[in-house]
Amino acid sequence: MKNRFLLTTCLVMSSLLAFTTAQAKELKLAYDADPVTLDIHEQLSGGVLQLAHMSFDPLIRWTKELAFEPRLATSYERLNPTTVRFKLRKGVKFHSGNTMTATDFKWTFNRLKESPDFKGIFANFTELNIIDDHTIDLVTSGPYPLVLHTATYIFPLDSEFYSGTDANGNDKGAIVKNGASFASTNLSGTGPFKVTSREQGVKVVFDRFEDYWDKSSPGNVSRIVFTPIKDEQTRVAALLSGGVDFIAPVSPNDFGQIRSSSNAELITMPGTRIITFQLNQERRSEFRDQRVRMAMVHAVNNEAIVQKIMKGFATTAAQFSPEGYLGYNPALKPRYDLKLAKQLMKDAGYEDGFSITMMAPNNRYVNDDKIAQAVAAMLSKINIKVDLQTMPKAQYWPAFDDRAADVMMIGWHSDTEDSANFYEFLAMTPDQSTGMGVYNSGNYSSDYVDTMTVKANAETDSKKRAKMLQDIEAKIFQDAGFIPLHWQNLAWAARKGVNVEPIVNALNFPYLGDLVID
Amino acid sequence: MTQFLLQRILQAGLVMLIISMFCFSIQGTLGDPTRELAAMSMSDEERASLRESLGLNDPLPVQYGRFVKRALQGDLGTSYFFKEPTLDVILKKLPATLELSFAASLIIIFVSIPLGVFCAIQPRHWFSRFTMAVSVVGISIPVFLTALALIFIFSITLGWMPSFGRGEIVQVWGYWSTNFASWDGIVHIIMPSIALSSIMLPLFIRLVRAEMLEVLSSEYVKFARAKGLPAMPVYLKHALKNTMLPVITVGGVQIGIMVAYTILTESVFQWPGMGFMFLEAVNRSDIPLITAYIMFVGFLFVVVNTLVDLLYGVINPMVDLVGRRQ
Amino acid sequence: MPLLSIKNLSIEFPGRYETDYAVEGVSFDLEPGEILGLVGESGAGKSTIGNGIVQLLSPPGRVSKGDIYLNDTKISTFTDKEILKVRGSRVGFIFQDPMTSLNPLFTVENQLVETITTNLGAAPKEASRIAVDLLDQVGIPDPEVRIKQFPHQFSGGMRQRVVIAIALAGEPELLIADEPTTALDVSVQDQILSLIRKLCHERKVGCLLVTHDMGVISSVTDRVAVMYMGRLVEIGTTKQVLTQPQHDYTKSLISAVPRANIKIDRFPLVEYIETTEKGLKHIDVSNHWLGEGLRHAHSEALLEINDLNLSFITQDALLAKNRKYLQATRDVSLVIKAGESFGLVGESGSGKSTIARMVAGLQQPDSGSIRFDGVELVNNPDRAAVQQARRQMQMVFQNPYSSLNGRMKVNDIIAEPMRFHKLAPPQDVLQIVGDLLDHVGLGRQMGRRYPHEFSGGQRQRISIARALASRPRLLICDEPTSALDVSVQAQILNLLKDLQDELGLTMLFISHDLPVIRQMCDRVAIMRHGRILETAETETFFEHPQNEYSIELLDLMPRFDRIYENEAVTQPKQ
Repeated sequence: MKNRFLLTTCLVMSSLLAFTTAQAKELKLAYDADPVTLDIHEQLSGGVLQLAHMSFDPLIRWTKELAFEPRLATSYERLNPTTVRFKLRKGVKFHSGNTMTATDFKWTFNRLKESPDFKGIFANFTELNIIDDHTIDLVTSGPYPLVLHTATYIFPLDSEFYSGTDANGNDKGAIVKNGASFASTNLSGTGPFKVTSREQGVKVVFDRFEDYWDKSSPGNVSRIVFTPIKDEQTRVAALLSGGVDFIAPVSPNDFGQIRSSSNAELITMPGTRIITFQLNQERRSEFRDQRVRMAMVHAVNNEAIVQKIMKGFATTAAQFSPEGYLGYNPALKPRYDLKLAKQLMKDAGYEDGFSITMMAPNNRYVNDDKIAQAVAAMLSKINIKVDLQTMPKAQYWPAFDDRAADVMMIGWHSDTEDSANFYEFLAMTPDQSTGMGVYNSGNYSSDYVDTMTVKANAETDSKKRAKMLQDIEAKIFQDAGFIPLHWQNLAWAARKGVNVEPIVNALNFPYLGDLVID
Repeated sequence: MTQFLLQRILQAGLVMLIISMFCFSIQGTLGDPTRELAAMSMSDEERASLRESLGLNDPLPVQYGRFVKRALQGDLGTSYFFKEPTLDVILKKLPATLELSFAASLIIIFVSIPLGVFCAIQPRHWFSRFTMAVSVVGISIPVFLTALALIFIFSITLGWMPSFGRGEIVQVWGYWSTNFASWDGIVHIIMPSIALSSIMLPLFIRLVRAEMLEVLSSEYVKFARAKGLPAMPVYLKHALKNTMLPVITVGGVQIGIMVAYTILTESVFQWPGMGFMFLEAVNRSDIPLITAYIMFVGFLFVVVNTLVDLLYGVINPMVDLVGRRQ
Repeated sequence: MPLLSIKNLSIEFPGRYETDYAVEGVSFDLEPGEILGLVGESGAGKSTIGNGIVQLLSPPGRVSKGDIYLNDTKISTFTDKEILKVRGSRVGFIFQDPMTSLNPLFTVENQLVETITTNLGAAPKEASRIAVDLLDQVGIPDPEVRIKQFPHQFSGGMRQRVVIAIALAGEPELLIADEPTTALDVSVQDQILSLIRKLCHERKVGCLLVTHDMGVISSVTDRVAVMYMGRLVEIGTTKQVLTQPQHDYTKSLISAVPRANIKIDRFPLVEYIETTEKGLKHIDVSNHWLGEGLRHAHSEALLEINDLNLSFITQDALLAKNRKYLQATRDVSLVIKAGESFGLVGESGSGKSTIARMVAGLQQPDSGSIRFDGVELVNNPDRAAVQQARRQMQMVFQNPYSSLNGRMKVNDIIAEPMRFHKLAPPQDVLQIVGDLLDHVGLGRQMGRRYPHEFSGGQRQRISIARALASRPRLLICDEPTSALDVSVQAQILNLLKDLQDELGLTMLFISHDLPVIRQMCDRVAIMRHGRILETAETETFFEHPQNEYSIELLDLMPRFDRIYENEAVTQPKQ
């Protein structure tokens, strides 16, 4: 009782404090791009998710340590293998003034199932049942281990605000990808910031939502001016000249300049996006020989690429799953060994090598074209002559869809922050009917991987599941199913006094609502 | 006059038709716009239906026919990214680019003419030699280097100038957004316009100097001196006006070209103009916007040429606008 | 007291390596109301004196020695500021080319008024009134209207009147006229010279008339000073100098002027000047490549032109009825016989050059026919035949500076047609080019140079050698010597005559210069406004012209030779 009183006092005090210090703390924010739309269901991309975390709130969210933290849900429990119950926070207001209830969740869930970008993530979910105004049940078609992972994508929309028709007689709730819609230009969420003005590609101004439910948040930013600055050097210059307070992403080339500056600081942390090369077994019979693939994996010195090209701004990889993921298998180590690679080529009967084609984008991943050049050079040491072509991402993806080269680069970030997502898209046998292996341009195929991934996705016991996922990683490792390079690190830079460190995370959605500026 | 304008309108139409055909014919190489509109993990069927809804699955001639039909009704398509009619997007970005080009032109005019004239009148003066030497070097410095140097010196080191954006802009006449109505706006436009003008400045100084030298050696300048006119009126009245004739034809077109060449400057300074918009559109495979922009630039070229010809006609009494010198 | 007194004047142009003495030790006086002719060939320093008087020498030129007095005031030591008060108000200037001495971008009024306000200190309104008055005095009709117009709206002659008006605007004591009529047609030249003479006499203004043209000297000057290589070689009354020249150079120069009154076989050369022809081999045409395939039968028609018409659009319009045309040639017909020299005479704009261009294929006629050796050249589908015919006619242009490609060596320029048409075995081409260069009096060693290294006369020899390299049967010469000095003109015309004799060339010779035509041509056609008015044997034409216009033209011909007629002069040396 006494404790509770103390807690309340503290809370009130801190919120008062937050209120007083909140005066006129403005954050000038520069990202490489602004959110393409205000409709958070229109497109599944980093920029839109960043917006979702600013102007909306999820049921639960990831902590910095990749654990779950309740937000609009106050608690959750698994009722049975196919049902998880969420208790909802009370007294939460939308920007419009409407009060959030279970109805908004139901409406949002249905909309997610309609969204072309999100329906895949919610494929295993059959329904959302309203138990009462502040209780919902999420039901899956079978036992599903990723209910909580997926719940991080449920940001309730203001169902009343988005219902009805706009001036043109169109449904306000419609998701429109190829044109303007009500939802893409208007917004009402529960998040800490509401959109005050927006000029696409130029500036978005956010003001703190005065009725924001989370009074315990230390955040004291009352206004965010979000400016997209495309050019990385300009972005850094804007920070160093005091034009903006917080920038992301930061290129490794600019680290030195920021570190040597007296009024800015750099924050980096390991990321979860894996960069890989895939070896097309359909185009090249040589790649069907496991020894050849193994030789190529051994020939690529990915540690050197991380050090020399990425300037240490990446983590050398030997598997898909980064550390912290369930499937991360600590036994799998990078295995550069040129001698062994040459031996393997000899064993496979390709001592004299062969010629292949390779493609990579040149503006999609950090240093993508330089990495590709390095890999091509490394492969030449085992007499594989590489004809490399790099191109802008706009041209690269159609080429990738056409499987236009023998070796192709692809980077992947797991939308669910779960290992299985890697296998589903990159390692499972491509299958039009199930939609699996869509980005497996190498046509790597293993019955073990195919069946175990499906099994793992029905295993709700996280310990057992971890074992299964790690076994899958080991199998792909043995098969040399692809050439792993590294996980890209994340970097942000901020003016000193803007305490970015506590709010950034490996998912690259800084929780700006909790940002404190001195 | 009417005939002259009529000719130019026809010419503009023709230019735009050719450009649009060109844009459509290279559409396939501009990339797949659905990649920018959707998540990587979106399924193939969804992607296909998105392509369908964008009309990208029709054969090119069908798409082109549809485009021309709509274009004739004033609809140049809708930008995938901005989700607005492309023309609206371009017109919204136009003031930023035109004001940047205008400010750069002012710099060019007010720097190159005095310098060029001085270099012509005093060819042996140390300052003339210095100016010509600097202009030789200047012509070979790429614009982004100038821009970055400016940012480094005046924004980062000295902290005098903002390094990006348009700053505070004011809406005038309901539609036009201007930098020139607020101090903040004026401060923001200074460095980008200097960077932009730096490409053309050396060229203009040399052009003005060369033309002035030629005019100074002409008979009528000598005759004006022989009439008893003092040197300055001869330079500034007789010589300068004649110098401006070729400078206007070459320079006017160059400045017109500059409007289309703002891409680099705009992207370094995050200047929200048409050039930057175009660069982004290319990155995003925003095909309707790319097409509309290139057509617009083609149209702009014809407009600039027309204006230059009109201006030339105002200054030079010998010109008959239909293009035949009397 | 002389108006202008020049004493021992030297003008030099210091260069980096050597100083060029443009004028050395020249002295003469000029009385009020007198017209003193200053005559000489290009480079003689005559214009330099005119410019030096008012310190308008182009840098680095300067007066190095001597004094210039204007009404007893020593003006040669005036400062920049002081000389401004002399220019315009005490010394008026008239330049050679009225097309370029007026600023095209300002109205005539503007240019007159600024002169008047500067020199007379008149208020702009008053200045405008004076300006109208001046235009009236120089004989411009409707001065109130015309004064508002731009220079390009005036004809050449009218423009020169404007220039004279401007020169007189400051009410000067001295007028310096630098080649005032060189760029004008004969009939206009006469009017302008009369005007200058009249104004000088009326206003008691002294005039220094700088010219290279003996005809102008003879018709207008009171006294004449002859310059050669920066020195004054002879000065005296016009009659005296022209009829009884004392100095060898003067004698030689006068004899080289083409005679209008009598035809002589060859032009006398200005022997005072060393010629370039010394010691050069001439080839024997009869057994040389150049002479192969010659001996075409004479006196049959080589070129027949019938009803040739061409019009230019002067004002374009969408609707045909709104367009305006200039009829450049109207129903022109003529026949040139093989081996003859046919002269085409007329003033500028008469259409004579247009005919040459159509014959050479540089311009397509609207209608009519051109037949060369029986081959129709207009709209003939047999392109090979047309090209074969065209190769056999070559052009020599007026301006030897612009008609040669400055980036090619002379050898290559001359070899080009031979190589293009494969007229000679490749290994022989350079040998032949060398022979041609020898033959036109340049010397084969010159072939390795570039055109800019040559003088005007030498360049015209290169043009002729290039024309010969196609082994032509018809040579079209369009004003081939009008840009050249008298002495050089004589050499070039002699060369053309010699070539014609040796090679049996047929020549279409276009000129506005009647004396030259008389010396060069067998028959002559006279053109005006695109029409041929009269075609006749040259001698018949000069002695008994039929057409009214022809009579007028002959009458207006500069009066140089009339002095001969009046005085009993010895025949010039041959």
